[in-house]
Amino acid sequence: MKNKVKKVATLCLSMSMIASMLAACGDSSTSGDATTAPKATDANATPAASAEATTEASADTAKGSTPRNETLYFAGQQWKSINDWNPMSANSNNAMAINQVDSARVLIYETLFMYNMMDSSLNHLLGNEYKWNDDKTELTVTLNPDAKWSDGTQVTADDIKYTFDCHVKYKSAQGNDFGLYIDKVDAKDATTAVFHAKLDKAGKPKNPLKVEQYLTQVYQMQKAYLEKVEKRNDNKADKMDDYVASGPYKTMYYDNQKVVFQRDDNYWGQAKSMWGQVPNPKYIAHTIYADNNAGQTALTKGEVDVCQQFVTDVQNLWLKQKLPISTYIDEAPYGICTCMPSCFFNCDKEGLNQVAVRKAIAMATDFDQIISSAVSNQSPSFSDVPRSIMNPTDVEQNMIDKDSLKQYQWKNADVEGAKKLLDDAGIKDTDGDGIREYKGKKLSFKAECPSGWSDWNAALTMVSDAGKNIGIDISTYFPDADTYYDDFTNGKFDICMWSSSGAGVTNPWQRGMFYFSKDYAAIKKGNWSGNFGHYINDDADKILQEIPLETDAAKLKEYYTELSKIWLTDVPSFALMYRPVTFHIVNESVWTGFPQKDDGTNIPPTDCTDGYGIASLYKITNTTK
Amino acid sequence: MKNMIKQVFHSPKFVVGFVMFMLVFLTVLIYPLIVTGDPLEMIGNGAFFEPGTYVNVDEVVDSQQYKLHIDAKSKKIEKDLDQTTRDDMKEWLSKFGGVEESSIDTKDTAALLKLWQDHYSTDIKMTGLTAAKQKYFKRLGDTIVDIVNDEDLSIAEKDKESGELKEKTKIGSNVFARVSSISNRKTFILGTDNFGRDVLGELVSATKTSLKIGFAAGIVATLVGLLLGLIAGYVGGITDDIIMFITNLFTVIPSFVILILISYSIGNSRRGVGLVAIIIGITSWTWTTRSVRSQVISLRNRDHVNLSKLSGHSMFRIMICDILPYIASYVVMAFILQISTGILSEAQLSMLGLGPSTAKNATLGLMMNWAMQCSAYLNGKWWAYFPVILVIAIISFSLNLMNTGLDQVFNPQLRD
Repeated sequence: MKNKVKKVATLCLSMSMIASMLAACGDSSTSGDATTAPKATDANATPAASAEATTEASADTAKGSTPRNETLYFAGQQWKSINDWNPMSANSNNAMAINQVDSARVLIYETLFMYNMMDSSLNHLLGNEYKWNDDKTELTVTLNPDAKWSDGTQVTADDIKYTFDCHVKYKSAQGNDFGLYIDKVDAKDATTAVFHAKLDKAGKPKNPLKVEQYLTQVYQMQKAYLEKVEKRNDNKADKMDDYVASGPYKTMYYDNQKVVFQRDDNYWGQAKSMWGQVPNPKYIAHTIYADNNAGQTALTKGEVDVCQQFVTDVQNLWLKQKLPISTYIDEAPYGICTCMPSCFFNCDKEGLNQVAVRKAIAMATDFDQIISSAVSNQSPSFSDVPRSIMNPTDVEQNMIDKDSLKQYQWKNADVEGAKKLLDDAGIKDTDGDGIREYKGKKLSFKAECPSGWSDWNAALTMVSDAGKNIGIDISTYFPDADTYYDDFTNGKFDICMWSSSGAGVTNPWQRGMFYFSKDYAAIKKGNWSGNFGHYINDDADKILQEIPLETDAAKLKEYYTELSKIWLTDVPSFALMYRPVTFHIVNESVWTGFPQKDDGTNIPPTDCTDGYGIASLYKITNTTK
Repeated sequence: MKNMIKQVFHSPKFVVGFVMFMLVFLTVLIYPLIVTGDPLEMIGNGAFFEPGTYVNVDEVVDSQQYKLHIDAKSKKIEKDLDQTTRDDMKEWLSKFGGVEESSIDTKDTAALLKLWQDHYSTDIKMTGLTAAKQKYFKRLGDTIVDIVNDEDLSIAEKDKESGELKEKTKIGSNVFARVSSISNRKTFILGTDNFGRDVLGELVSATKTSLKIGFAAGIVATLVGLLLGLIAGYVGGITDDIIMFITNLFTVIPSFVILILISYSIGNSRRGVGLVAIIIGITSWTWTTRSVRSQVISLRNRDHVNLSKLSGHSMFRIMICDILPYIASYVVMAFILQISTGILSEAQLSMLGLGPSTAKNATLGLMMNWAMQCSAYLNGKWWAYFPVILVIAIISFSLNLMNTGLDQVFNPQLRD
């Protein structure tokens, strides 16, 4: 009897050990998709407030449950609970509502114009049209007279002016950035706002590109509401739970489990001058999943309609599992790759301040392996799109002289070439331990990125492998995301990884800034912008100052080619892969009609929510009706 | 001693456990002698290649062609056109091809293909279908074009200078190649993992590392536990109180929590295999101490111990010569379980990303960690994690079996 009990106990113990291991793995990958925009600070302190923004929420919707066939479910955007609804806040952690980037998310708040990366166009939203004066010092924006706030009042030039003033006054991220390039905004009349560019000493605008970027990036807020908030809160930070905005959706419910938006049926955009209708899904919901795996499981079950998460071998979802799932493009890379997750070397570190060391690591890395295994071919290879600071879209590729760059590009996994480079530079292994020394010190570095960002972790593992092949010790280091953010934004790293900007009004100039900017290098604390490794090159800096003022295409081509040359010669950083900034994997069990490549709509695959991509919400139809 | 070993090997449980463990152990020793090369080499350019033998296609094309009277075509059709595909074809033909649904016989392959060829066109708009379905039909159309194409497959070479294609060879549908005459072959018995590494080679290397960690952790834990238990039990008094205080303290704090905290604070770059083993060892000694102590207490007043004391033997000698032999069987059993615990703890730690630093060693836990990170279990890549689970289960099961077997031999209460 005793024996039997023991046997059963042994079996139970083994089983529970294995079960606990499986459970433990759930915690190990808590990241979102590695290529989503930085979540500067995480949800801390805010308890999951189950606030109701709308007073008319009826009894059956009190818990945020909505009819499945009227709700469009998302995954891959919102992680952890929401902090606030304030577009000026630095840590909203509110990805579904607030994402002020090149293609801003325009579900709740709206920008003046929507960027469309398909043709680099600015599409009218709150603003009807914009016009520069001849010397590009003043940008006049005419507002759509139909544009209304959610309280029914008109969107006026005063609101536009006050929004800018508040951003500057409260030193928001947007205010700090655009305040450098925009002097002031004037309200000429109710529907005309004039943006005055900041001028340099010669009287020329500092950067007209940045002024234009403001139109597609910054959410407009109501003056009356802002004044109310300032008054009630004595000019201190406010959660803005009761926000007044102009977008097609409003908050219905949110807690640490999910966030639900309800369509505003009085949305101004149903005017003929805008969309002519309200968007088709009555509700938009995002369940807050624990990790990527949970999101993927929900997608395959049809509980999620639109998913922006990296899925290994995504094609197997339809080829093998035969699910009604598709992506923007039917074949690899399945989306439009516009950004480049890149490795930065800390140029302040002994050893990494040597071009030969940096270049050797980049040369020896097996990028084909990274692309085929770490991101399962969801990126063009570097033989298809040779390296430059341009993203792989045709628009940008045509802006450089590809032939003249050929001699600077290196072949994939060139271990011998890298060894020779190091030998020629006199960086050799003198004590026979297999690791080279520079100035008597072993070349030993840490390659760092957040744990759980599986594709990035795998990519850095391969960089580490390259080091092993050429006698440089590179160990991988995957701390939790917050530790990583602290390390890489403050220069406390050897080799780190971050994604460049994608497509937008200011690109590819912005990407040049990301790799070279002297200004960014000078930011001592909390540098999220770029040039994390503090690489200084005066030639590059000079070119970056010229580009925004240059309109001649030939000259621009020359500039971008030269920047790419410097990048490939000095290798302060190198791209590991090409990836989309936003993309979608859709399950069509409930909704269909999502943007597809060559469908003739010109709607970009920006997750159905960003920039002009929101047009897809007016196109999709319900399959269950 | 000899008699004791004989007795032990008469216990069927111990023998089964021992054989299982030795099988794993010998595989770990012998496999690297047969299959040489770096087990962490990323040999596959891509992730998760399925288990099987891979032959070089270039060599297949160049190899001797054998024509066999086998209808390879219809076999291929059978494979590509299963019943659901045929039903889908029927659906398309009746919806968009303008064919009467009743006139379509999905069992008649030739007729079905003929109908498809006559009516299918990529120009026809499939309105009302989801994009996924439209894309499916497009792919199906391509497959069928491939199926009905009777032409031989031409292999052409590109002329280096003119860039012209020159036909090199033709391959008919009933041409076969002899597998064993293809010299460029590679067999992945357990496929490859997310880095394109051979899972079997990695598994063997990982098992070796995990066993090392288990042994080292087991030795550390047993030594610490034994030493403290002996001292506490034999010396007694205030020493006993202090040691038991510390032991109780460590017993009530879950050891895994301490393990996580120590591993985390040491930092990723300094965590080698040896250090992880020691960390596991020093967090799992408590129950050995408690059991050893209680046994020593019951032994210390035995006659032979008292006799030794009267003879003026030192405390150390009494402990080693008069007490240890009586609890040796117990210590061996505890050691075996400690090994098992060590291996499991490493696996758990690695899955949390707190195991030995990643790029240089394979351990069982790390393999699981990467398999989970790359959602292998969601995507049906069983070979990336199931063999690992199996090996962990076999090792811990065999060790537990050995332990139970020993228990039956040494514990008079359990003797049959």
